[in-house]
Amino acid sequence: MRSLKKVLVALIFAYVASLMANPVVYESDSALDQGGNFFQEQRTLNIYSTVDLDAFEPILKAFVETYPATKVAYYDVNSLELYHKVMAEKDRPKASLIVSSAMDLQLKLVNDAYAKTYQSSMTQALPEMAKWRNQIFAFSLEPVVMLVNQNLFPGGELPKNRLDLLQIMRHHSQAFHGKIGTYDIRKSGVGYLLASQDARQADATWGRMIEAFGSHKVKTYCCTSAMIDDVAAGDLLLGYNLVGSYAHKRALGDPRLTMIMPTDYTLLMMRSVLIPKLAPNAEDAGKFIDFLLSEKVQSLMLSENLLFPIGDASQAINLSKKRSHPTRIIELDQQLLVGRDHAKQSRFIRSWESALELSELD
Amino acid sequence: MWQKSASLAENEALELQKAPSLRKRFILSGAGVISVIALIAINLVFNYSQRLADLSYDRLLLSALLQMDENILAEDGRLSIDIPWSAFSTLAQANEDRIFYRVESSVDGYITGNQSLESTPPSPSELGKPQFYNQTFSGEMIRLVWLERDVTEANIQGSVTILLGQTRLSRETMASSITTRAVQVILLIAIVAIVLIMLGSHLVLNPLHRIEELLEERQPGDLTPIKLDTPKETYQLKIALNHFMARLNKNLEQLENYTAESAHQLRTPLASLKALAENARDQTTPERQEEALEQIVQQSETLSETVTILLNQAVVSHRLQTQRLIPLDLVALIKQSCMEQAVAALRQGIHLSFESDTSKVMILGEAFSLQQMLNNLLDNAVRYSAGNGLNDQNEQLVEIRIKQDVQSVRLSIIDYGDGIADDEKKRVFERFYRANYEISGTGVGLAMVKEISDRHQGKIKVTDTQPKGATISVDFPLYFDREGEL
Repeated sequence: MRSLKKVLVALIFAYVASLMANPVVYESDSALDQGGNFFQEQRTLNIYSTVDLDAFEPILKAFVETYPATKVAYYDVNSLELYHKVMAEKDRPKASLIVSSAMDLQLKLVNDAYAKTYQSSMTQALPEMAKWRNQIFAFSLEPVVMLVNQNLFPGGELPKNRLDLLQIMRHHSQAFHGKIGTYDIRKSGVGYLLASQDARQADATWGRMIEAFGSHKVKTYCCTSAMIDDVAAGDLLLGYNLVGSYAHKRALGDPRLTMIMPTDYTLLMMRSVLIPKLAPNAEDAGKFIDFLLSEKVQSLMLSENLLFPIGDASQAINLSKKRSHPTRIIELDQQLLVGRDHAKQSRFIRSWESALELSELD
Repeated sequence: MWQKSASLAENEALELQKAPSLRKRFILSGAGVISVIALIAINLVFNYSQRLADLSYDRLLLSALLQMDENILAEDGRLSIDIPWSAFSTLAQANEDRIFYRVESSVDGYITGNQSLESTPPSPSELGKPQFYNQTFSGEMIRLVWLERDVTEANIQGSVTILLGQTRLSRETMASSITTRAVQVILLIAIVAIVLIMLGSHLVLNPLHRIEELLEERQPGDLTPIKLDTPKETYQLKIALNHFMARLNKNLEQLENYTAESAHQLRTPLASLKALAENARDQTTPERQEEALEQIVQQSETLSETVTILLNQAVVSHRLQTQRLIPLDLVALIKQSCMEQAVAALRQGIHLSFESDTSKVMILGEAFSLQQMLNNLLDNAVRYSAGNGLNDQNEQLVEIRIKQDVQSVRLSIIDYGDGIADDEKKRVFERFYRANYEISGTGVGLAMVKEISDRHQGKIKVTDTQPKGATISVDFPLYFDREGEL
């Protein structure tokens, strides 16, 4: 069994590697410097990222326009694969920047001393909870949401929180069978983060949730976008624990979709960026971080519905106090390491698997 | 005259420059002591702040470790741990410090945590007792807490070991912030103290400056006592100065009197010399002229003697003022004087007789002055004895006696001359007073004797000798050395 699992993992790696072999490259249209000369040598900034290309493309384009001497090679990777890739390359990193929504894995990289220290006026301005050791910086703050297809949703009224959802699932058990989607915490780093934070926040509710998911044959996904697609297509009634910015953008353009921020508590997660310790071209990486945190890009994220800017973090915290329901910000600090404890992680995944009635091989 | 004073001032300035400064010494030693104290304090603060930082953060570390320890559990017959979130939120109070841990059991070995974190505590392991120590890990110095304890789960034997560590960033920050503040305070105190010492030195030495100024401002002849309110420490200085000036004043007065009286005394013989010389000039016969000249020579000799005595007295006065008194054998001194005078006395038909009930008696004295005193006394006694009642054997004798008492020794010079009338006894010690003008002498002698006696704390008095004559006795205090021996 174990060897079979290893082969499978190796196959997945090979597949991902083949995907990654072909990054999307952005460079300035006019490869001329201010003096009108061609750049002698164009530097390349390699970015490994979990952010969907759709959401990041405008930012990358803006960057190469601002810094025409740099071209950006963007590698879109799943958050768990990203962690393994960085660890594999730790002695000779290819990437200059690691962008991920799996906060716990990012923090583990920093704790294990694989990140480089970077300081600028932009990073100084970040609130304490949005950075750690000046080695990891959050650039967006996103609510974790549920997304429903309201046309197909039974019972007429949409759930406001997790308990509502459990009740509706009990009343319309048949309708939900095979129609609920959530992250596969074994494959997705951010999926694991959100599940473990759910378990931390409300252990009892979480237990009931996964029991219900298991009895209704929940579908598991690698990524938020695939889940949204299936909800939109009607293959799913509800997606649970989706990244807010993606869901928000799709719900805006699709009347069938409704985004729900659970009123019992809403998790707020951050996307973070770090520079590997031995990264090439760390100078451009620093520029990119400052660029991400700049007023211009932060407002671009908001206006284009790309991501929720971290610049509003303090505002979001204030808002969360005024709102009728509590929010829980997942902060960038040492506590995230607990979720990734070896023993805790395997125990958590085992209990998740058994509750969802999935075999280990799935 | 001007040049001389200018070079004097120059010398004084040079000397002043070379002279060690009391104030500088005071300030330097004060500053030195304060600096040493400050350095010691800073050193203590360094150690203390490190210890304090470790103490406070070790508590966090231990609390996190105990939370972990409480969550050791058995799972399918194996030991495992469910680390509580709160354990690391405790550690997150050291907000920038990385965390490392490792849990292992004596049965299964590694359970969870950093596989590469391996460590044996510095002291021999003791079950259930946490140990703190520093170790290098992951490129940094980290602080570790180590705990091994027996497993209390049913069916599982052996022990479980938990290692929990964090980097030292917060500790160093805390220690250095304590140190910085403490060092600032210490330096401030030290500087204030040194400034106070400088001000204080000025204040302390001020009375000296005031005395100095007062003395500088004085008229040359002003020897009146200083009337200045001074602190206790300079009071003695003021008193000493006043005593010194009083002595100086007395000396000056004496000198003035002496000069006046000497001049007066010399004028009479000089006038008589002049008369004699005129007389000689006016004589017509060689015989009479020769006689007159002989008179002149005699008068000159007398004058010369007077001058010698005056000079001697000046020397004695000077020595009495300047020389210290030292222990002397009075008997030996007297013997010497007697020997010196014996021949001269015999020439006048006088015998000197010396009697002493002791062979040696020590007093504090100045040899030259005492010698002069004895010579004078003997000379006087001989002079007043001579030419009186030559037929009487007793009258040709001058006796010198020494009689030792418990605290003093009495020296008596006894003659059998005409004696001194009672109303004159008090005046014989006055300068230039002469009881008997028939007898040659300057009248200076006994005054000097009195002066020397006074200087030696002697008590001098004149009594009558039986059946006739005068006795002059001087009581000297005995000298006892430190052992109380004579």
